[in-house]
Amino acid sequence: MARQYEEVTVRGYDEFMKAVSQRKGKDVFAYFSGSKNEQGASWCPDCVKAEPIVRGELSYLPPGSVFIYCQVGERPYWKDPNNEFKKTLKLSGVPTLLRYGTPQKLVEEECFKKDLVRMMFTED
Amino acid sequence: MAALCKWRHRLKPAGFFQNAVRRQLSDNYDYDLLVIGGGSGGLACSKEAAQFGKKVAVLDYVESSPKGTKWGLGGTCVNVGCIPKKLMHQAALLGGAVKDAQKYGWRIPSPITHDWLTMAPAVQDYIRSLNWGHRVQLQDKKVKYLNLKGSLMDGHTVKAVSKTGKESVLTAGNIVIATGGRPKYPTHIPGSLEYGISSDDIFWLKESPGKTLVVGASYIALECAGFLTGIGLDASVMVRSIPLRGFDQQIACLVTDYMGSYGTKFHWKCSPSKVEKLETGRLLVSWTDLDSGKEDQDTFDTVLWAVGRAPETRALNLEKVGVKMNRETGKVCVSADEATSVPHIYAIGDIADGRPELTPTAIQAGKLLARRLFGKSSELMDYDCVPTTVFTPLEYGSVGLSEEEAVRRHGEDGIEVFHAFYKPLEFTVAERDASHCYIKMVCLREGARRILGFHFTGPNAGEVTQGFALAIKCGATYTQLMATVGIHPTSAEEIIKLHITKRSGLDPTVTGC
Repeated sequence: MARQYEEVTVRGYDEFMKAVSQRKGKDVFAYFSGSKNEQGASWCPDCVKAEPIVRGELSYLPPGSVFIYCQVGERPYWKDPNNEFKKTLKLSGVPTLLRYGTPQKLVEEECFKKDLVRMMFTED
Repeated sequence: MAALCKWRHRLKPAGFFQNAVRRQLSDNYDYDLLVIGGGSGGLACSKEAAQFGKKVAVLDYVESSPKGTKWGLGGTCVNVGCIPKKLMHQAALLGGAVKDAQKYGWRIPSPITHDWLTMAPAVQDYIRSLNWGHRVQLQDKKVKYLNLKGSLMDGHTVKAVSKTGKESVLTAGNIVIATGGRPKYPTHIPGSLEYGISSDDIFWLKESPGKTLVVGASYIALECAGFLTGIGLDASVMVRSIPLRGFDQQIACLVTDYMGSYGTKFHWKCSPSKVEKLETGRLLVSWTDLDSGKEDQDTFDTVLWAVGRAPETRALNLEKVGVKMNRETGKVCVSADEATSVPHIYAIGDIADGRPELTPTAIQAGKLLARRLFGKSSELMDYDCVPTTVFTPLEYGSVGLSEEEAVRRHGEDGIEVFHAFYKPLEFTVAERDASHCYIKMVCLREGARRILGFHFTGPNAGEVTQGFALAIKCGATYTQLMATVGIHPTSAEEIIKLHITKRSGLDPTVTGC
């Protein structure tokens, strides 16, 4: 079955903003997670818990939309209150799932609730 | 008996419903509670009911304003009322603060200008985040949200229509009507509908409203004219008779006098006769001076009607179902427990007759109703001594009776009115005129002199008034007030220090420290 959405994987703020700017006019959903190491494990336990839940709802994404999976960086970078994600994108925690350009976002434990994730993907 | 009622609507013609009629066993409704209206009252009631494990749904639907403005979940307060109003009022206050700052030593380039295109989107973004927040909350608390327009079919059945016209039928053990109100248009004035806007539109304008005429004298009119003036626009208010009807009139005049001295133009005892659109796109408003009969005209960029709000009952089909309404107000008649004339149908918030048109009372009434329906509580909503604040440029906070109402109930000899004109310390260095900053406490004359009414004009009136609402609820007396120590230096301490009575005729102006 063909995927109706485009999935993009990026690392860091600059790559994220580049991916967004290349997709102007599209419905962009972004999932921010603490970066994974070579073994594929993230330093952020909540991100580990939320990822399969979010991925489980991806089939509900609207056709033509974009799903950006963004690894924010290492733990010390994330803890710095002046990092670009916190300062410019106003992220308060990871994991965060948001719909770019709208106030729709789910933060931390909200990402564990698959019905909230589904609501964001299917909401008008 | 319940079974008989169920059979009765199964005998309705099958063509009535678009969906197949569901075979319902008695007491097997789709929902335990169906709330029509997702505003302050409706959301609070539904979320509280869901806490008891009940099956709850909220129908929220916004009919566009005549100008085409629409908004999301949350009702009037969130989208076109309290929230954007207070934020724009804050924008205006900040303009004043920046001017004051110069006297306090800040080097600020002059002149300072305001950009609607920076403020409005920021306010609108915040509102959208609240719409989303409500969606998340409802989902989280397992309340079903339906963006459908609901109307009653009978005591337990609601017809729900989507924006595309698709119909469905929902049944519920209990129904709460919480559809609120919408601004009235003076349709007898030619051009009013085509060229004027209302409070439904002002916060969502994509461009600055420019030179604005606000028609009306309610708090909506004055608050809007107030912040428009405060952000540097040319704003006028056209008043047919008195300002802030229902509020203490002495204070109402202080509020409008202050606005006048700060740049809002007032047309007293005038009534608009027509609104025409000029070739330039601007609006030509003609009006009559009701005292002299003289006609006058002026051009504006925007005409904002704030001439009252009408309850949203038209599309609910209330008469057919037997829900009694007050013929004069058009609102739904309710008893002390928010029940309507039809069993299992309740009404809360602005739609209910005789209730204050305030968010906190709607929320509280909604919660208590849910607790009575599903939580075995018997606590009724207490609508006595509800505090309010009018967020005009000079804010006005009050709780309890106006002086006029106290005189009506107890006679002039039965009350003692303490008052004072005070000057907020911050106004001194800023060289601001404080002549409208005033406090009035209306008390019973006998015994410990229980406080009947509290009135305060000045900065942060809402913050000042909130605590006194508790005091008055507890039956505070002037004797207790005298025994309370003030916080220094504040404006609020002047309330504690009240000692000049109106009866004495002495000068109520507070002198130095």
